[in-house]
Amino acid sequence: MIRVEHVTRTYGQLVAVDDVSFSVDRNEIVGFVGPNGAGKSTMLKMLSTYLAPTRGTICIGESNVEQDPVAVREQIGYLPGDTPLYGDMVVGDWLRFVAGAHGLTDAAAETAVNTVVETCDVTPVLAKRIRECSTGFRQRVGLASALVHDPAVLLLDEPTHGFDPLQVMAFRDLLRQLKTDRAVLFSTHIIADVEAVSDRVLMIDNGRLLADGTVSELCAEAQLPETSLENLFAHLVATAGVDDV
Amino acid sequence: MSETNRLKWVDACSLVARRELRAYFDSPIAYIYAAVFLALSGSAFMNAFFLEAIVDMSAWFERLPYLLIVFAPAMTMRSWAEEHAQGTIEVLLTLPLRVTHVIVGKYLAAVSFFAIVIAGSLPIVAMLLRLGPADVGTIVAGYLGALFLGAFFLAFGQFVSSLTHNQIVAFVLAALLASVFVFTGHHEVVEILDGLAPGWQLGSWLSGSVSVIPHYNSFVRGIVGFGPILYFVSMIGFFLWLTQIGLRRIRL
Repeated sequence: MIRVEHVTRTYGQLVAVDDVSFSVDRNEIVGFVGPNGAGKSTMLKMLSTYLAPTRGTICIGESNVEQDPVAVREQIGYLPGDTPLYGDMVVGDWLRFVAGAHGLTDAAAETAVNTVVETCDVTPVLAKRIRECSTGFRQRVGLASALVHDPAVLLLDEPTHGFDPLQVMAFRDLLRQLKTDRAVLFSTHIIADVEAVSDRVLMIDNGRLLADGTVSELCAEAQLPETSLENLFAHLVATAGVDDV
Repeated sequence: MSETNRLKWVDACSLVARRELRAYFDSPIAYIYAAVFLALSGSAFMNAFFLEAIVDMSAWFERLPYLLIVFAPAMTMRSWAEEHAQGTIEVLLTLPLRVTHVIVGKYLAAVSFFAIVIAGSLPIVAMLLRLGPADVGTIVAGYLGALFLGAFFLAFGQFVSSLTHNQIVAFVLAALLASVFVFTGHHEVVEILDGLAPGWQLGSWLSGSVSVIPHYNSFVRGIVGFGPILYFVSMIGFFLWLTQIGLRRIRL
């Protein structure tokens, strides 16, 4: 569903993403892990069509992000980092607006909104303005708007940011349900999130992809005994010649 | 996966326009804006009516460009600058809409809001019609000119707003640009500039080629000509196109 081939993104002289390739299949949850500033958000912005790759190819399904960005946007549900939303809008209106932008008819939009409101548990704030919602509810509203059109690909940038421990557990359960018939790629710097739900891990640092595989595969590759993802990440960064994590 | 359909051009622009228009009316600032605008523009008519016994709307229409130097940028300053500052532009531009849908939708919402605000002056028209035979043709042409004038100011206001994350910067730059378009057509400014360099006739040249005033005044005099319409339509199109160029550069 997601195919990234030799993608590089620069901002002037700064190389934010450097020759990265990977893929994510249907029915798969992939955790994109790395420290702040590693290039995770830039990668997700390119997958969402918000930024263009400087070099390389990105395809979502059969659609190339450069050649047919609208077709890509039809297939994705995207939750950007910091969950930017229109504070002056009522939650229900915002979800209906997103459903309308995806071409759902009024009746279909209403059904989709009702479904996603239940899935993401945003009923208590449905009639509130977004600026009146707590951080956790804002995050859930953002997730609901990414899901309202039932997309084939979910791209989530730091989705558990602002959640309390119970909400994090609920989110992990939700993510496991959502992977059915979908490709899910989520970025985080919280290793526990990745360990809890990911089928596979992508590790990135300084714009370069350090590893791609399951924890067992990566441990075997690094000739380490089965260890925590944190230790594995530290080992990979060290072997890549980076001193400071 | 649910079945989604790609929106038609009109539906996509209309979807964005309805959201934007609702955002205008959800804010108390919109009502304050409308009240202050109508009070200031209405005072021009009242002064002429009571003090000079002028029973037409010429004073109202003549004051409009000067009021719009401040009021149009006040309407457009948040249009894109706020999207940049709050990051909502990332959400908006990753929905399955084209950049042109979003630009045109936002622009139509601003023009609609402006049209609703100037419709607040219609009681003056009703009063004139009640007082005696008013020149309805001139009034209609004047309102058409007012709409074109507002639409033009809103187009370059949105363009300026798309360049910055700061609403104050957007306001100041748009007001400066509006001042250039208006004051280059003011007869005293034209005379001063002509006097500074008599051989160049700079004032007359700016008035004829840059200023919005000669084109707008044509409508105010009751003449709906092809030239002024072409000027407004092409200038609006030019600034909306510039906005699109600016926004596309975000991706690069």
